[in-house]
Amino acid sequence: MEPQVATGWDARADIARRPLQIRGRFFTAVALRLGGAPDQGFYAALDARLEQTPNFFAGAPLVVDLEGAEGLATAADIAALADALRQRRLSVFGVQNGTAAQEKAAAEAGLIALAGGRDAPLRGAFKPEAAAPAARTARPPVDLAPALQLEPAPAPEPEPAPQVNRLITRPVRSGQTVVAEHGDLTIVGPVSSGAELIAAGNVHVYGQMRGRAMAGINGDLEARIFCQSLDAELLAIAGLYRTSDTLGPELRKSSVTVFLDGERLCVERLG
Amino acid sequence: MSKVIVVTSGKGGVGKTTSAAAIGAGLALRGHKTVVIDFDVGLRNLDMIMGCERRVVFDFINVIQGDAKLKQALIKDRRVDTLSILPTSQTRDKDALTQEGVEKVLGELREEFDYIVCDSPAGIERGAQLAMYFADEAIVVTNPEVSSVRDSDRVLGLLNSRTRKAEEDGTIPAHLLLTRYDAKRIESGEMMKVEDVLEILAIPLLGIVPESTAVLRASNTGTPVVHDETSGAGRAYRDAVARLAGDSVEMKIAGDEKPGLFQRLFGRTA
Repeated sequence: MEPQVATGWDARADIARRPLQIRGRFFTAVALRLGGAPDQGFYAALDARLEQTPNFFAGAPLVVDLEGAEGLATAADIAALADALRQRRLSVFGVQNGTAAQEKAAAEAGLIALAGGRDAPLRGAFKPEAAAPAARTARPPVDLAPALQLEPAPAPEPEPAPQVNRLITRPVRSGQTVVAEHGDLTIVGPVSSGAELIAAGNVHVYGQMRGRAMAGINGDLEARIFCQSLDAELLAIAGLYRTSDTLGPELRKSSVTVFLDGERLCVERLG
Repeated sequence: MSKVIVVTSGKGGVGKTTSAAAIGAGLALRGHKTVVIDFDVGLRNLDMIMGCERRVVFDFINVIQGDAKLKQALIKDRRVDTLSILPTSQTRDKDALTQEGVEKVLGELREEFDYIVCDSPAGIERGAQLAMYFADEAIVVTNPEVSSVRDSDRVLGLLNSRTRKAEEDGTIPAHLLLTRYDAKRIESGEMMKVEDVLEILAIPLLGIVPESTAVLRASNTGTPVVHDETSGAGRAYRDAVARLAGDSVEMKIAGDEKPGLFQRLFGRTA
């Protein structure tokens, strides 16, 4: 890879020409929570559920939630489960909430261990009766027949949440992170180096901007960053970023707008 | 109305303890009943700078743990009778501090003193957070130098989120005390200009204390530098204390006068 040197502002680092790009991206996966080690009853319940909406889960990326399945501990068992799921056109790729031993076994079976994730609405109106709110948190008692819950898992896929903007009228200090998860973020005051501004929508800074700003974190390519006085460490829109090194000195301390033009992060002087 | 003031900075070695001692002594010299508390458990420097290390019997931790009464641990200053010191333990660590214990001791001190000056340890961990939690106001000690300014900024963030005052009012009054100010090094661009520091930290300036040999001399002799009226640092602390108490004092930097040609020529080799 040839090293690229941004020689000045107009020599915008042309990312499209680079052989690779790394960008953060959210995906939605389905989580399958087991009520116990999978047995005949489990597969029967699973088949019954899949029959209700035959194509809904076809090919869907799927994570097995092992929280209620202590019995499932060997790589062979997990591989058998994965095979059984794949035969049903479920694209299982990972496990969650397993013990260390389960995660190791899953790794041997070719499944990755995932941490975190949040429940999100599934596209389409699929409402399994078993996924009542109480059942999501409470584990089914052991004496019940193995319960199966198909529930949505990680990542907010744009089921558009209402836009909620955030306004901060105090300095944002080094080490602080301000997040506007569902809208624009406006700062009236200075933003110190080492501070982070994160927004699903646009970021506005009325004051010295020395920190990092990330707009359009959920992939909004139209999101912009506006700075009254630019001295930022990092600017990013929809995962495409530039650091102060590649920003060059020409626009320092001037009012700018930052936007995406295709695969290029452009910084333009305002006014 | 008593006031709890935390002297904090994030970074070590910027002059927190020197400033806490000088400000405590300065407030006491103005007639306010003042106590200075050492929160730097395990290191214990305040009593040395205040010149009372030989008189420490019981300490802050003993009081928190109920092994001694507050009256037994408080040391009266020999120079100013309105000043007391609550030293800390050298044999314990910061885990010996508890939030309830600190609150109880501060509550008792509030009944007796006008000003309670808390000398925070460096860092942003438990000790520093407990020193700031119950404060009514903060003095952020900063050197005109990038890492110190950044750490102070971080501490200001903590002050505005992890103090009771901020939890109640949303913000805590904070003052900037710029220490180890060296006009020559600022002129040569080695250190940051006052206005640049103020622009980043965006809090009111309480005072500018010049780098001075008087500070080290004061530490060595255990006399808070505010007693040294001949030194620029001593005068700067007196002015800062006056501002803290509500007086409006013109901001002037002691030792600001430009050296003559001869001094410049010879000063460089020194």
